[in-house]
Amino acid sequence: MKDRHTINLGDLVILIADPNSYLRRLIFGMLRGFGANKLLEVDQSLDLLRTLTGQKIDILLCDARFPPHGGLSLTKNIRRDIHNENRTIPILIMSSDGREATIKSSRDAGANMVIAKPISPKVLYDRLAWIAFSSRKFVDTATYFGPDRRFKIEGYPNGVGRRKEDKVIEVAEEVGPALGQDDIDSLFTATRIGQS
Amino acid sequence: MAKSTKRTARTKSVRHDARIFAVGTRFQKMARRPGGVPRDQAIERAQNFIDELKPEFVNWLDRKLQELGTAIQQAEGSSFDVSWHERAYRSSCQLQDVGATMGFELITFVANNLCKILEVIKMGIAYDREIIKCHLDALLLAKSEPYRNLCPEQLPEMTGGLQRVVELLGKLPDREVK
Repeated sequence: MKDRHTINLGDLVILIADPNSYLRRLIFGMLRGFGANKLLEVDQSLDLLRTLTGQKIDILLCDARFPPHGGLSLTKNIRRDIHNENRTIPILIMSSDGREATIKSSRDAGANMVIAKPISPKVLYDRLAWIAFSSRKFVDTATYFGPDRRFKIEGYPNGVGRRKEDKVIEVAEEVGPALGQDDIDSLFTATRIGQS
Repeated sequence: MAKSTKRTARTKSVRHDARIFAVGTRFQKMARRPGGVPRDQAIERAQNFIDELKPEFVNWLDRKLQELGTAIQQAEGSSFDVSWHERAYRSSCQLQDVGATMGFELITFVANNLCKILEVIKMGIAYDREIIKCHLDALLLAKSEPYRNLCPEQLPEMTGGLQRVVELLGKLPDREVK
């Protein structure tokens, strides 16, 4: 990720959802260092849903395994709830499971981005900047509501090509090596060159 | 009648079409404002915060390792508790998620390995005391000086061995699965 934009997080309401209190503390401190001053945190789904229905949130950072149902299920629920005013907020999934299938599941649930745990300040800052400066359109179909999932082939792990005749990449089984953050990013890159 | 059928078909077609639209979120609007903390400075401030936490991190690590050890004991002791797995897995995930951020890369590596083993156990592979004990010892080692400052690549024998254990567990024949 070559993005070097400066982001202004002042007055943005950021919700951190993770069951691990130490991790929440770390993310909280990092975001404060980035200039954020309106931070909320929750450690379970019920509180998360209550917070989302009770007030306007600007971005959600959610653990992929957030108890009891998991962050992906929550993401789907948020996106599908037509009455939720936070339906289109950016959702950044934090996951220690870097398998390609998990990343794709996050994307298909409607996440804007996946960030691999353990998280470093640099990676967190750059992913927030990516979300801030990449305008992805939203797609509403019978089976999906969320950011446009069409991605360019280049950047897929293990050198999968970009040629016209290349086969469409199948969704993988729940096996395989963990992807690095760069590989994860490539799965979240909009397909159309020139799309801002 | 025919007209009605046509209309229904057309309506269905429209209903299944994808609607693509731009969303201007408040996050994007606000985050793009000038006046934010410059990237390098923001990252440095965040890193300083992490560095300030480091002296007390070892205490947190001790607590988590103790929790993990207690959960494991309950898997094999007379006070067998079925919830041991959930607690052991939770502690392992927490160690994995935080370790490298705090500069303890080996902790993250070993805890990640242990998470994978606990996942396999949950799927039905028989609990192996020696494998778990080996990982608990590796975590204690990873916590101690000078290992806490090393990365997995600097200890290829240890990390390679632990990784091989996970690979072998993943290849166990079906009959081993409960």
